Amino acid sequence: MATSEFWSSFKSCNAKRIQKYLSLCGPSIETVEKIENDFIFDIEITSNRIDMASVYGIAREAQAILPQFGKKAILKKRSFPKPKLPEHGLPIEIVDPENLSNRVLGVVMDNITIGESPDYIKRRLYHAGIRTLNNIVDITNYVMLDVGHPAHVFDYDRIQSKKLIFRTSKKNETITSLEDKTYKLSGGDCVIDDGTGTLIDLPGIIGTSNSVVVDSTKRILFFLDNNNPVQMRRSSMSLGIRTLAATYNEKGPDPELAYTALLYGIQLYQENTGAHIASKIHDLYPIKRITKDIKVYLKDIHRVMGITIDEKQIISILKHLGFGVMRHEDKELAYPDGLYFNITVPTYRTCDVSIKEDIIEEVARVYGYHNLPNVISPLAFVKQPKELEKLYTVQYKTKYFLKHIGLHEFLNYSMLSADLLTDLDYNLSKHLKITNTISSEIEYMRTSLLPSLIKNMKDNIGKKETLRFFEIAKVYNKNNNSLPQETYNLAIAVNTNFSDLKGIIEALLHELHIKNTSIEQGSHALMHNTASVKINKQRVGSIGILKRNYQHIIGLSEEIYIAEFNFEKLIEYFSLLYQFSPPTQYAVVKLDLTFQKSIPYQQIEDFAYKSSPLLKRVEYLSSFGNNISLRFYFSSHEKNITEKEAMVQLTNIRNKISS
Amino acid sequence: MAKNNVLQTFKTEISKIASLDDLLLLETKYFGRNGVLNAQLKNMKDLNAEKRKALGKEMNQLKYKILESISKKRQEIVSFGQKNTIDVTLPGKKYASGSLHLVTYAIEEISNIFEKIGFIRMSYPEIEWEWFSFEALNMPKDHPARDDFETFYIQSPTNQKYGKMILTPHTSSGQPREMMRLGKPPIRMINIAKTYRPNWDASHVPMFHQFEGLCIDKRINITHLKGTIDFFAKEYFGQDRATRLRPFHFQFTEPSFEVDITCDICAGTGKVADGTKCRLCKQGWLELGGTGMVHPTVMKAGGLDPNEFTGWAFGFGVERVMMMKPGVGLNNMRALYDGDIRVLEQF
Repeated sequence: MATSEFWSSFKSCNAKRIQKYLSLCGPSIETVEKIENDFIFDIEITSNRIDMASVYGIAREAQAILPQFGKKAILKKRSFPKPKLPEHGLPIEIVDPENLSNRVLGVVMDNITIGESPDYIKRRLYHAGIRTLNNIVDITNYVMLDVGHPAHVFDYDRIQSKKLIFRTSKKNETITSLEDKTYKLSGGDCVIDDGTGTLIDLPGIIGTSNSVVVDSTKRILFFLDNNNPVQMRRSSMSLGIRTLAATYNEKGPDPELAYTALLYGIQLYQENTGAHIASKIHDLYPIKRITKDIKVYLKDIHRVMGITIDEKQIISILKHLGFGVMRHEDKELAYPDGLYFNITVPTYRTCDVSIKEDIIEEVARVYGYHNLPNVISPLAFVKQPKELEKLYTVQYKTKYFLKHIGLHEFLNYSMLSADLLTDLDYNLSKHLKITNTISSEIEYMRTSLLPSLIKNMKDNIGKKETLRFFEIAKVYNKNNNSLPQETYNLAIAVNTNFSDLKGIIEALLHELHIKNTSIEQGSHALMHNTASVKINKQRVGSIGILKRNYQHIIGLSEEIYIAEFNFEKLIEYFSLLYQFSPPTQYAVVKLDLTFQKSIPYQQIEDFAYKSSPLLKRVEYLSSFGNNISLRFYFSSHEKNITEKEAMVQLTNIRNKISS
Repeated sequence: MAKNNVLQTFKTEISKIASLDDLLLLETKYFGRNGVLNAQLKNMKDLNAEKRKALGKEMNQLKYKILESISKKRQEIVSFGQKNTIDVTLPGKKYASGSLHLVTYAIEEISNIFEKIGFIRMSYPEIEWEWFSFEALNMPKDHPARDDFETFYIQSPTNQKYGKMILTPHTSSGQPREMMRLGKPPIRMINIAKTYRPNWDASHVPMFHQFEGLCIDKRINITHLKGTIDFFAKEYFGQDRATRLRPFHFQFTEPSFEVDITCDICAGTGKVADGTKCRLCKQGWLELGGTGMVHPTVMKAGGLDPNEFTGWAFGFGVERVMMMKPGVGLNNMRALYDGDIRVLEQF
């Protein structure tokens, strides 16, 4: 936004200061750039403050804010001469039987000389990022930026019927925009019909090529329409026509401003194109926007701001912003509790100011948030649910443990592609589906972490020799029509060997001090050589080798070893410590045994314990071919045993496991 | 045995010894109660005084020689291998080194900071009803954030009361959830979770993380919001950083603010060493995220009386604050989710 007119009001203050002050208390000024004798302010306007999207709107803010920093600022009030209307004007009929628009203003102007705009208009539009075209069109844009209400212009002579009928579009009707692009409407858009069924405008969004001004234009219909913001946004977004006018109109500019814009536009046309008014001013204004009143107690302002602020300052801030303020006192309440203000909200602010908190915001921001102290919120005890405390504690223990034994954490998207799921024979119908995804890569909510980790393995093979990955994350299981079950899983994938993976699992179970665990032969849809990991005989996870056919479908050049757990089960059985057992006072005799293995190791261990009451521990040493070497630890609670006694035990064991 | 033979034998024996244990055995063999030296003295009492004296002297010399040579041997054994035979500059034994995702570290640090001032970490559904993410947060049906291109919708029947199923586009659905869970203040909550938006390009990812803070009580005001966020910023980014609030607009807070933090590159001056403009920040300030005082409509949706209670809330991006941390040096969010081990293993 560049204008020396705006600038001239604040000579006592430099541009950098204005940037700082306004950013702290009002619109955020992203950058200031000096160009010749002017400054360009790049200002971010929040979507609720369309009233600030104009030179006048910013000036009004500045006029309220700068005095807070000791700078003088006066808002120049605008006044326009009453337009002289011809006795017998040119005919034009504007109707809106469905009341689609809040307000429509139109005036015909004759004797137009089309040409270039004066330099100041061209320069200012250029710096505001708007292409200049000719004096007729430029004036509509100039008025919009200055006053804050979009404007449009028709070639009067190209509207042969002299009729403009607002109506709702039908499905598959088409318009051709002024850029000669044809759009098919989906129906329900606000359009203008010339009475013959031909659409001659998509009001508030874009003009159509059959009605806009052309090089030969002599007479114009200067036109301001104030429309339904929701309808504007829907049409603009669904057609992908994001004009500046559309971005204004979807935010509900003040229809009262439309009249100011009309008068300013007429003046500019008269001054710059030689035009004169050739019709009466048509003004359809079925739904008048009116001011509204809000009652705010002084104590509420203090309550939210956390400080006491002088009532005179409150009144001054609000008045500078254009609010009406009446001070009252509730006689039943003692001062200052009974002090309240009746605030009248001006029409340009009724969209964003509707409750007392909005008024408090106005006071607080202009007063300056930087003037409020920093106080840490008063302490209060709120109990964290035990299960969440445990969830986070065990999760961090697990993550750090896995990291420290050399695994790498991955964090994958919660959504998967149908391709990956079907490649791994998952049933798509068991997965929640996103209806409006932007990529087929992220369409289904995962019920397992394995597909993601398998893909991670594939993507990283060759990048590093040893790959050992894990992820802890939620999976989402359908739950009829209720929200899905969200549970935490832990998955691990390695490219080393089965023993490595199993070792990781055993070490983790030990680290979490989980008792009564066992790892047994099992099955899993994705795995061969599968083992089930059980706690108290209940399965909590599986480990195994990715089945050969999946390895090939995924395109993995080597075998990978995968595991997945219901992490919440590990949390459930987690304990900080194992129960203490005092070290034995008596001798421990260690005996090694190598023998031909004919049954699974787990059975050997089970048999060994069953057949020897003195057996305390079995250690796996190695295996070679079918031979296995084990070390047995014997000890008694009552006395020192001799090697001979231990040998007897070992013989019992050997007889049992080889029979 | 003749004395000379004793010494000879001893010399032969000690020359074969290489450990302290064996040396001790040898020492005992000679000096023990039934040792070699005592055996030599066995017949001493039968000798006359002169011979006894001579033998005593001879034995003392022998004893001294043996002791000396044992002591020398001990020195030899102890100091063996103490020469600098190891190349200490060789790498040590290689231990496995894993990594955690950057977001994991960030979440841990953030929750710890808030735990210190009494905020509990909570968790709410990631697949949520529209009502909790929108209506309850003062975003009515026609609000732009509810458009198809701002929020992911899940295929499922519409719930009569709560609307459609969605992927949480922000962590703020935790606000009404926490109010309803507790029923009444005090509320001191921090919610760190995955959030989803249909936006995937060079600088956006469809899934990211946010952290939400919520504080509700009697007489909570803007100064508390300022103080708490400033505390967080100083803990997380460094004690030398400062924060400021700027007016902004969010549907679920009133007043609403954007928080800025001083830039670490230019130390909040907006200018780098050579006097040119700092390219990272805006005049010395970086945007941290959005915050504000809980909107009365949100308070009511959560079942609380806005005339009795006030509160503040904020929602910041986890990846954003982490990438803003001095020294991290990572500025592309996509790198965190591309799943390249060469990136991830660095953390």
